[in-house]
Amino acid sequence: MSTAEAVRTDTASTATTAVSVDGVDMDFGTGTLAVRDASFTLETGRFLTILGPSGSGKTTLLRLIAGFQTPTRGEIRIHGQRISAKPPHKRSIGMVFQRLALFPHMTAAENVAFPLKMRRHDPATTPDKVDAYLRLVRLDGLGDRRIHELSGGQQQRVAIARALVFEPDLLLLDEPLAALDRKLREEMQLEFRRIQKELGVTTINVTHDQREALVVSDEIIVMDHGEIQQAARPSEMYRNPANAFVANFIGVTSFLDGRFDGGALDVGGVSCAGTPVSKLDPGSPARGAIRAEQVRLGAPGTTLEACDTQLDGVVDDVIFEGERLVYVVTVPALGDAALRIYHHDPAAQDLYGAGAAVRVGWTEADLRIFKKTGEPA
Amino acid sequence: MPDRSFRYPLRWHVMDALERGADILWPATFSRMTGWLLAAPAILLVGLLVLGLIQIGDASMHVLDTSTFRMSEAYTLANYADAFTSAVYFKVAWRSLLAAALTTALTLAFAFPYAYAMVRTRSATVRKALLIALFLPFFIGQVVRAYGWLIILGNNGIVNDMLGVVGVEPIRLLFNFPAVIFGLVQYMLPFGVLMLAPALTAIPEETEIAAGSLGASWPRAIWHVILPMARPGLIGAGIVVFTLSLTDFAMPAILGGGSQDFIANAIYDQFFRTADQGLGSALALMLVALGSLIVGAVFTLFGAGTLALGARK
Repeated sequence: MSTAEAVRTDTASTATTAVSVDGVDMDFGTGTLAVRDASFTLETGRFLTILGPSGSGKTTLLRLIAGFQTPTRGEIRIHGQRISAKPPHKRSIGMVFQRLALFPHMTAAENVAFPLKMRRHDPATTPDKVDAYLRLVRLDGLGDRRIHELSGGQQQRVAIARALVFEPDLLLLDEPLAALDRKLREEMQLEFRRIQKELGVTTINVTHDQREALVVSDEIIVMDHGEIQQAARPSEMYRNPANAFVANFIGVTSFLDGRFDGGALDVGGVSCAGTPVSKLDPGSPARGAIRAEQVRLGAPGTTLEACDTQLDGVVDDVIFEGERLVYVVTVPALGDAALRIYHHDPAAQDLYGAGAAVRVGWTEADLRIFKKTGEPA
Repeated sequence: MPDRSFRYPLRWHVMDALERGADILWPATFSRMTGWLLAAPAILLVGLLVLGLIQIGDASMHVLDTSTFRMSEAYTLANYADAFTSAVYFKVAWRSLLAAALTTALTLAFAFPYAYAMVRTRSATVRKALLIALFLPFFIGQVVRAYGWLIILGNNGIVNDMLGVVGVEPIRLLFNFPAVIFGLVQYMLPFGVLMLAPALTAIPEETEIAAGSLGASWPRAIWHVILPMARPGLIGAGIVVFTLSLTDFAMPAILGGGSQDFIANAIYDQFFRTADQGLGSALALMLVALGSLIVGAVFTLFGAGTLALGARK
């Protein structure tokens, strides 16, 4: 097969490719493919997050990479070797599971020593390695504790140490932080980042938390309906979403539906300045997307500086989020479209109340115009 | 009124009616006693058992007068002395204990893979087939099953017929110790599987996959992870199988053919053959004591979590 041939030469020439996924389909026989034509490569030492809503196929893709399931079509290689070439216990993959899957009948240190024993590492070095990895995850001195004697965060740390102690080629994280409360989750995200940077281990993380993806990753893949929507670095992903789904999934985004008039977005006769992202035919249905931090807000009748489009609106709701306010403003000229706008100065929260008339505006670069798909955003 | 589409489900109405009835029978002022009410069946059951035990205890302290076939008036421990010093009863007790231990070990060895396959199979058909195969023997009583083995294993049974075809002389497969063990294991297997299945279900498959990803081959994952995590189930199943085997009557009687008596058979003989209620009662109480002692020792060693009671998450 010509594509397989191409991959083989490709993996041979790029020695630093840790993971290559090529044209992978997964069919569970449910009528739709769980994963459709997924292809990407990941370089050694990089931290990749596969991001998507539940049912997007992200966990299936991770399980395929882990080799727990075999793809219906396509190939997955780790350091050039097909994943199915070895049985699971001979593969060099460390995994942190969703529910951690720690062994409750062992102590923290025994859990960490388990893969060393199973993989027949030199018993003389085991105590040092166990200590070193417990120190790495900041559990020094807690090795003798039983799993149920540790807090949720400490259990996470044991699971990480256990997955890394045998120095695998690849670390897989199957949403291990999903069950934690927000504070602990954010703490552990930074820990994952620190440990990954310290060891330089190639890592693939799966999550539905866009913030986590932005914080921890070198690269992000966004999935929806089994398909990869976009693969990019976090800042690139945030600033240049490839389509309306990605724009909506990452960040707080408002949408305007209309037609592309060749240069701008036409919403019911009102021309909205914007930048087309995909190739659009003039007159075709289009969807404009704008981030909550990119909409300018001003008093009625004022001229907003540097804004290419300026319209009158009415404050519909003011949401206090602590570090910021979110104004929900309806714009009558755009068919009562609702725009969400951040305001970072909660001390002045009485700036505009509900029902107040305001002026909103944006620059051409801020409003991104996508091809309109059947998908409701 | 406009047409209302919502109706309370019938179950809710039934519960309302039950609650109204319960209010009359057990007014709210009694609510502090509700715990005792819930315990009432248990108290009744255990209470009757204790009454029976007292009766048997009383009977065990009278000896049978062989000239009149009446129980003596005087209280004495002679029956216990007889039982303890008798070589026959020592042999019977030893045989019962050995058989119970062997049966427990063998049953668990067979029940574990059965339960594991039943819990882990991806096919609903296989799971159903295994469940049906498990419950079917329950509908066939112990005596009928033992009789079935007589037919299969007898001198003119299927097994010996088949051996005859290949030119092997008939072998005596019945009325010996292995035959009793064989019958007991076959009888106990469903109990073992039913006690083990919940324990194995409680072990997430993820844990097993994790062991694999950490480098454990499947046999090592079973040994290092699944067996230790299934320990409460194994001990619970072991206790049930051991006590049922220790006190079994039908298998030694039918498959042992009188040559392989267990304690229960000896007790039966005293009550219904020699009509020595005193000695029979003494033996019965000693069996109760023996069983309680062993179960108590297991609980002390492994804790009450063994029956999945108070087990940690």
